[in-house]
Amino acid sequence: MGKPLIRIENVVKQYTRDTQVLTVLDGLSLEVEEGDFVALMGPSGSGKTTLLNLVAGIDRPTSGTIHVGDAEVSSMSEGALARWRSQHVGFIFQLYNLVPVLTAFENVELPLLLTRLSKADRRRQVETALGVVGLSDRMDHYPRQLSGGQEQRVAIARAIATDPTLLVADEPTGDLDARSGEEILVLLERLNHEFGKTVVMVTHDPKAAARAHRLVHLDKGVLKEDVRAKEAAGSIGLAAAVEVSAGK
Amino acid sequence: MKLLPLVFKNLFRKKTRSLLTIGSILLPLFVICILGTMLRALDSDPSNGKGMYRLIVRHKVSITNWLPAAYDPKIRQLPGVVEVLRMNWFGGSYVDQSARNQFARFSTSDADRFLKVFDEATVVEGSEKEWVDDRSGLLVGRLLMKKYGWKLGQKVTLKGDIYPVTLELTIRAVFEAPDETGVYFHHEAIEEALPRVKGFVGWYWIKTASLEATERIPAQLDAMFENSSFPTKTETEKEFQNGWVSMLGNVKLLVTSICTIIVFVILLIAANTMAMAARERVTEIAVLRTLGFRKRQILGLVLGESLLLSLFGGVLGVALYALLFPGFREAVANSPMGGFAAGMKLFPEILAVAFAVTVFVGLVAGLAPAVRSAQRSITDGLRQVG
Ligand SMILES: Nc1ncnc2c1ncn2[C@@H]1O[C@H](COP(=O)(O)OP(=O)(O)OP(=O)(O)O)[C@@H](O)[C@H]1O
Ligand SMILES: [Mg+2]
Repeated sequence: MGKPLIRIENVVKQYTRDTQVLTVLDGLSLEVEEGDFVALMGPSGSGKTTLLNLVAGIDRPTSGTIHVGDAEVSSMSEGALARWRSQHVGFIFQLYNLVPVLTAFENVELPLLLTRLSKADRRRQVETALGVVGLSDRMDHYPRQLSGGQEQRVAIARAIATDPTLLVADEPTGDLDARSGEEILVLLERLNHEFGKTVVMVTHDPKAAARAHRLVHLDKGVLKEDVRAKEAAGSIGLAAAVEVSAGK
Repeated sequence: MKLLPLVFKNLFRKKTRSLLTIGSILLPLFVICILGTMLRALDSDPSNGKGMYRLIVRHKVSITNWLPAAYDPKIRQLPGVVEVLRMNWFGGSYVDQSARNQFARFSTSDADRFLKVFDEATVVEGSEKEWVDDRSGLLVGRLLMKKYGWKLGQKVTLKGDIYPVTLELTIRAVFEAPDETGVYFHHEAIEEALPRVKGFVGWYWIKTASLEATERIPAQLDAMFENSSFPTKTETEKEFQNGWVSMLGNVKLLVTSICTIIVFVILLIAANTMAMAARERVTEIAVLRTLGFRKRQILGLVLGESLLLSLFGGVLGVALYALLFPGFREAVANSPMGGFAAGMKLFPEILAVAFAVTVFVGLVAGLAPAVRSAQRSITDGLRQVG
């Protein structure tokens, strides 16, 4: 495998509510290699979303450092982070979060509006992204005219429109039926495999986690399990690991 | 800007709400334009500056007290007096007392001087001579001719109230002027029927030679008659008109207050709409910021939407007003307040003020929601799953 893309060192994240200090992440360290597909699991409230947000640069740790590629996202200014995110990270949310008044095309174009690309270049990139997720024929449809699975695919197209190195997904199949969820997972696998995107995905679903190459289990702000699938018997090994963590 | 289409689409996300808000900006702005025009008309000078060379001399006590007709030569000999015109309010009625049939009816002892003093008026039908030569001749404003469908040479019957006479007058001339809402005839027509009114007039108009004369004469003239049994009060035309306006109470203050209240009401309506719009989009705005939108871009999106909302209403309101203005002016001209129409125009400054109000409302209404939307942390926004 490649060199580490994400380096999390000794990260602490605390929330202060009134006088109470809540420590969500407690000295967490983790490295993710470039081109890896990581599933992040753990009970509700264990800090998965918090960790994902830190890695993606929409939140900053209380202490510790986070490097993604050459950027130290834990110490960048807000403006610099915004630019960095638009170039390097693609987000996929549980509830798709498309803008309802924009068509599939316009939704995917949104992150490209922040670049200097010409209209023609933007169009080309949007069409490519929608082609990858298999929705070339739905470009002019509004979110309400699409199924949940299709909406999530548009959201994935939006996430890859700027061709970022890192994709983060927070329970991307959490709101979908089994079949649509399966489609999304296949798509993420393909993006990882074929397009070389590094994927970090939070999930509650062991079957979804089984798609990943690596399973990281978080509990009460610290890493509990970290299982790497064998190259050969990847999914079998992971499934076993999942059984273990679910059974204890 | 590339984000403008998004601003547009956001604006009409809740169509009914946006249209209602636009409507509740449009109509008040329309009203503001009307009130502003009335207010501005009070200040305007329909005579185009000619009024600066006119003085009015009336009885010190009230305009309803008569003055001796014999003051004429005494006034005339003052230096700077170009012409003197004796006028009188006839009142009375035409056909009936209905509002439609209200217009000003004056008699003058000096028909031959009338157009010298009111030199902004020109005769457009018939002739001055025909009117001056006919003791029962009538000089009529063009607007009234149109309103009543009168023809030159037609007889018009005026029934007196102050003067118990019925006058049958013949239209001899039609004049065009900023104020075309009056009729004028010879005072002799009244005197013939009521000899006792001879020797008295309502007031004097003076045409002055210079602004210096306009300024000097009032004190001089009033001093001249101070100790007579008919003391006078001399004012410029402008002062005289303002006197009427202040008799209506402090109209300006009232109208200005109403306008201010209207502005605040539309501000509240627009602010409420924008607050709702921003609240509904908390998650969405967090998503946009996740994609790399900057705080100032979010600020621009919300503020732009608010501005657009207000501009839609405001521009439509002003346009509607501009469109309906000619009809509105005519309606005023044909009403008992007809004289008022003379000063009414599509004042560019009123339109500019209306536009400024619109921009102000748009920016102020959107400011708080825009700042709040831009300042909210992304993670807070994302956690607020609606
Ligand atoms: N902005 C915040 N202010 C205060 N507490 C917060 C904030 N964000 C998260 N928390 C707390 O941090 C803890 C971890 O939250 P987080 O969303 O990371 O959990 P999670 O593992 O993603 O859970 P879930 O599986 O339910 O999504 C929770 O107890 C949550 O209440
Ligand atoms: Mg979560």
